[in-house]
Amino acid sequence: MLEPQMLFVKDLEVEREGNRILRGISMQVHPGEICGVLGRNGAGKSSLAYAIMGLPQYAPRKGRIWFDGEDITEWGVTERARAGITLAWQHPARYEGIQVRDYLKLSKPDAAAEDLEEALKLVQMEPFYLDRMVDKGLSGGERKRIELSSIYLMKPRLAILDEPDSGVDLLALGEVMGLFKILASGGSSVLIITHREDVAAACDRSYLMCAGKMILEGSAAAVKRYFLSQCEPCVEQMPENTGEAALNHA
Amino acid sequence: MHNLSEEYKTLVSIAERTGGQPGSFGAEDVIYVVVHGNRILASHALPGVRIEAAETGDGIDARITVQAGTKVSKPVHLCFGHLAASGRQVIRSRIFLEEEASAEFQAHCIFPNAIEFLHAMEGEIHLGPGSAFSYREVHVHGPDGRIDVRPVSRVRIDEKAVYRGDFTLVEGRVGNLAIDIDVEAHGRRSRVEVTSKIYGKFDDFCQVRDIVRLTGAESTALIKARVVLKDRSQGKFLGLVDGAAPGARGHVDCTEVVQGEAKAVASPVVQASHPEAEVTHEAAIGRIADEKIQGLMAKGLSADAAIDFVVSGLLR
Repeated sequence: MLEPQMLFVKDLEVEREGNRILRGISMQVHPGEICGVLGRNGAGKSSLAYAIMGLPQYAPRKGRIWFDGEDITEWGVTERARAGITLAWQHPARYEGIQVRDYLKLSKPDAAAEDLEEALKLVQMEPFYLDRMVDKGLSGGERKRIELSSIYLMKPRLAILDEPDSGVDLLALGEVMGLFKILASGGSSVLIITHREDVAAACDRSYLMCAGKMILEGSAAAVKRYFLSQCEPCVEQMPENTGEAALNHA
Repeated sequence: MHNLSEEYKTLVSIAERTGGQPGSFGAEDVIYVVVHGNRILASHALPGVRIEAAETGDGIDARITVQAGTKVSKPVHLCFGHLAASGRQVIRSRIFLEEEASAEFQAHCIFPNAIEFLHAMEGEIHLGPGSAFSYREVHVHGPDGRIDVRPVSRVRIDEKAVYRGDFTLVEGRVGNLAIDIDVEAHGRRSRVEVTSKIYGKFDDFCQVRDIVRLTGAESTALIKARVVLKDRSQGKFLGLVDGAAPGARGHVDCTEVVQGEAKAVASPVVQASHPEAEVTHEAAIGRIADEKIQGLMAKGLSADAAIDFVVSGLLR
């Protein structure tokens, strides 16, 4: 039996530029769980990740977010991070003039060289990458892998991973999931945002999101089945910036 | 009463922490000068290098000559500073590299407690034919107060000589900074690189005026500025390359990043006084993208620490 939820989101609504991009989202993530949020592009998955992380552009107009029983709805990004929440962006930013070593050390300032090397090894990168610059000579996939290794070093209590497998060249799905399982076995909860049903299917439990709403919660296999049978092709995909058309779908 | 050894130790320890090699000051094989206010605390030269320094009312007059053919293998460390909260220090220097000489100078300007202070560097540099001179000036100021920094250099470069100047002020308050560098590359095939890296905060004012006149045939120049301004700080950059000789080539590259209510003006100016000269420029003023700052905040950094981290990379 799962322990009480670590993250609890209730009736969350977010509006941007006049459009309701999250519509009454309720969800929860339990300690040590790998939880998926599956949905097509434009469903609002990344917006949900940003709202949980506390980005001010995604401040909710309604609803609350609790973390470990504490209402964090009004907390800033830094406070949430220090409480143990972190987010791996879908497209990691390029930091000019920063070495991979220094970037990774942000996640664990007292990390020894062996810690950094181990974190890189987990994403199949050689130690020499530590001396490379984050903004130069790295492919998008390599930057993504470095981001994943930085999350590993942080050992957060809740890691939100936005499309963690996109652009991760050469890493098979099993290897990506293996990393998440290592995170979970170390005590982290993992919330995976994905548009790939096979990624969601490898989670402990999943949600299906469409047009800014959660339309299904259940076992990963059940969510995958529903997604494949009902959502592909999805004739009611959310038109850009509105989210109106797919409402009937829910 | 002043304790000279304490002043020496403090200045040198900061200098070594901020770019100087540990153990450089006091080493037998390193040329160095340490000045606190207008007092010369230490001076050490090696064969082929002549240092003549005299204390003045508000600083020192120094003449450094690197004799013909002398290749100084280790950086020459010049430490100028003051531990007081207020005062002035004026360093007048004449540096002459004779034919085929080469040396790398690192100036450490240390004012960790300055509240109201004037620090002026009035330098004349003459590079003889075939010589190579690299001058790096790193400032360390305290987190509070204001300091007036006036680095003024007049540089003259003979045939095939190379000048590299690098000014860095990234730690502590800038205060009022007015860099004024004027280089005449009159020697054929002479080369110039001038770089400024500045991080302004609060109500700092940073003015950079880098001018290079390429009067020697086939001479080249690169002026590069990286200025980051946050809070209410202001910055003005003027970089001018004048291509005034056949085959002269020059480029001005300025990037300014502003945060908060900071204001920046960038004026890259290129002029070709000679029809066979080629001069180009690029300038950009932008902000640090929110996603970069928020990406670091998601690792637990405060917004200020995130900006400082991004800036540390930009100014590296």
